[in-house]
Amino acid sequence: MPRALQVKNLSFQYRDSERKALNSVSFQAKRGEFVAVMGPSGAGKSTLLLTLNGLIPHLIEGELEGEVVVDGWNTKEHQTRDFATRVGMVFQDFETQLFSTNVQLEVAFGPENLAIPPSEILQRVQESLRSVGLEGFEGREPATLSGGEKQRLAIASVLAMKPNLLCLDEPTSELDPAGRDDILAIARWVRESAFITLIMVEHSSEEVLGADRIILLKGGKIVAMGPSSTMLRDVNLLRKTGIRPIPITELFAAKGSKHPPLTLEEGLERFRKEGWAIDELKYRSLTELQGLRQRRYGRVLIDVRGLEHTYEGGIKALRGIDLQIREGEFVAIVGQNGSGKTTLVKHFNGLLHPTKGEVRIEGVEVRETDMLQLARRIGFVFQNPDHQIFAERVIDEISFGPRNFGFPEEAIAERAQRALEAVNLLGSRDADPFSLTKAERQRLAVGSVLASTTKVIVLDEPTTGMDYGESIRMMDLIRELNEKGHTIIMVTHTLWIVSQYAHRVIVMREGKIIRDGSTREILSDPDGLREASLKQPQMAAFGRELGDFVFLSPEECATCVVK
Amino acid sequence: MSFYLYLDRKTPIHRLDPRTKLFILLGSFVIATIQQHPLPATVVAMVILAHGGFSRSLRNIWRITGLLTAIGILTVLLWSLQARGVTPLFWRFQLEPVLYGISTGIKIDSMIIAGMIFLSTTKNEEVAVGLVKLGLPYSFAFAFCTALRLAPTIIGSARMVAQAQKSRGLDLRTGGVLSRMRKYIPLLVPIFLTTLRYTNQLSMALESKGFRAMEKRTFLLEARFTATDYCVNSALILVLLIAIIMRIKGLGQIEGLLF
Repeated sequence: MPRALQVKNLSFQYRDSERKALNSVSFQAKRGEFVAVMGPSGAGKSTLLLTLNGLIPHLIEGELEGEVVVDGWNTKEHQTRDFATRVGMVFQDFETQLFSTNVQLEVAFGPENLAIPPSEILQRVQESLRSVGLEGFEGREPATLSGGEKQRLAIASVLAMKPNLLCLDEPTSELDPAGRDDILAIARWVRESAFITLIMVEHSSEEVLGADRIILLKGGKIVAMGPSSTMLRDVNLLRKTGIRPIPITELFAAKGSKHPPLTLEEGLERFRKEGWAIDELKYRSLTELQGLRQRRYGRVLIDVRGLEHTYEGGIKALRGIDLQIREGEFVAIVGQNGSGKTTLVKHFNGLLHPTKGEVRIEGVEVRETDMLQLARRIGFVFQNPDHQIFAERVIDEISFGPRNFGFPEEAIAERAQRALEAVNLLGSRDADPFSLTKAERQRLAVGSVLASTTKVIVLDEPTTGMDYGESIRMMDLIRELNEKGHTIIMVTHTLWIVSQYAHRVIVMREGKIIRDGSTREILSDPDGLREASLKQPQMAAFGRELGDFVFLSPEECATCVVK
Repeated sequence: MSFYLYLDRKTPIHRLDPRTKLFILLGSFVIATIQQHPLPATVVAMVILAHGGFSRSLRNIWRITGLLTAIGILTVLLWSLQARGVTPLFWRFQLEPVLYGISTGIKIDSMIIAGMIFLSTTKNEEVAVGLVKLGLPYSFAFAFCTALRLAPTIIGSARMVAQAQKSRGLDLRTGGVLSRMRKYIPLLVPIFLTTLRYTNQLSMALESKGFRAMEKRTFLLEARFTATDYCVNSALILVLLIAIIMRIKGLGQIEGLLF
């Protein structure tokens, strides 16, 4: 049986780069196999995908060595467009690959290019939409779909060309948990159909449990490759390659288990079989620490009463929000895409004004305050740093805020210096911001807000697109800012980050707050989370199974386990 | 929030062949331009508005009433002061240029409204099919439609960038002309780079989906002339002829207007 995919000694160097993005990569994949590609940012994962249908070297310039053969076709000998019937390529940013005015035409675009007769196109559109669960969406405009639906549409639009190889580049990273599950269901369907080979770049270990094989890339090289059940147990190897291990696996590895479990059920069984127990005294001291922290919060900074917001066009995004946030808090706002999280926080610095109700910052109505005044107290870090970076040097970017606020030159220099230090970018002071990595650019965005000394820092999805190591560094930085007295409000759908960093969690659904409490309270309640289409983190679920415990991280649980 | 103009309504206008809709648009342009007097221009404007009402696309026009009013007033003022006539009104204003200004304002607004109605009733893909059926190469038709598609995307990212910079204290309301222009750099650089990145990825996605893989592609949307299309086009030709004859006969002109 011929190999569906053969990659032999593949190296690639981008034209303007000094190092190889891929360095002697070799592997094969069988028909119907599900291969996950993992590794830290800059490992070459996306580059590898781009070589599989010949975008490298035909569209992207650089030096390519070695070869890629898909179903007997060498990518060097055929154009990318001719690979359309062999390789379905779904890019990371699904927004840029949807360009039609409705779902049906989006899926039809590929087959139309292949000159397939309209009657067959219709049939293919139906089949593809069915396989991603989007039947009945034919007439919808892609822009009105949720993130998960858009991603599924992007997959359907390449499935309609009947490829043998399906490539997905981090298909779940920008989705809420509900959207994530839908994509994983498609991956399972592809896996079971047994005729499509699936290559998926993914950050999260829990999502690649179903893969046949995992390839670990780092610095353009394959550092390890093997069955997922073996690879996912190797906690040290995963950590070294910037991947967050499955929490339950991490817990057992920390307790010295040689063959740690991969699922919650397995973990519970092992815990009971080994006769382990939870030290209640230790657990109580953890929860007491939390009470102590709560008593130290200062006065009310943000006071929201009866807030409603209706967008132009009549979409009601907020339906009655009451909320107080005190000085020194670290709040996470969670909920599905479209639940109103971002709309809510945009009221805090005057980017949006209430349609009804009021928002007071330190007692003053936002509507009566100038946005410039507000921006000095409430800093806002947007999800995508590339929507704000414009300067030629990092230092100029950081000084932009203080300069706008009219500080004298010495004060600007001092503030910029302190902000650079805080976000750990002193070494890049004179660098071109665009030469930084995505994670560094996000830190720069935080720094540029910090330089205007804001009391409250609002962050919208601060870790999007970051690997595990980068996320930890980013969040440690935010925790440090909180400990120095900044109030932190963070919008996110990454629950492990919420559980390890936030003090308080606000759960939103359809424009309303449905839960509001300490992180431990909220995570102990799987029903409340489910109502907002969120999944209880594994460690919290583990603690509940063992008794009245809620663990926020594997480390926390490990300190409480007595053998 | 949607920046797309197309409104998915099931009116007879929506069902017309895209070529017919293109002809209506071009016809509206020609008829609007060749009249000089405000009276026929108003009649044409009313017909165009009725067309908008019939196709239930007036919602998009209400959205730009501010722009239309501004253009209207500016045009009236500009032309009233630019051209010359024979009948004095008051101060520097004379009757003929004012009439001409009013009709030019109505004409420009009519053309914008006709364009909006076209985009509200025709999907991008239909425009492409129409252009291909008229003999234009697909690559050109696609590029044209992508430009239409790109506009809302750029507006969306521009809004985002503006919010991000406003949050960092960028204040576009104050300062002289030069300093204000300089203040636009923090907006323009990210918008430009985001658009560049977008088009880059778009071209990769297109290539991966077999764009131009075949000499001739097929279209899921069909463009076929129906009896209604023939009727509408005949009526359109008739009206065009009347307008041209009126123009040749000198009807609807403003007497005594000098440039």
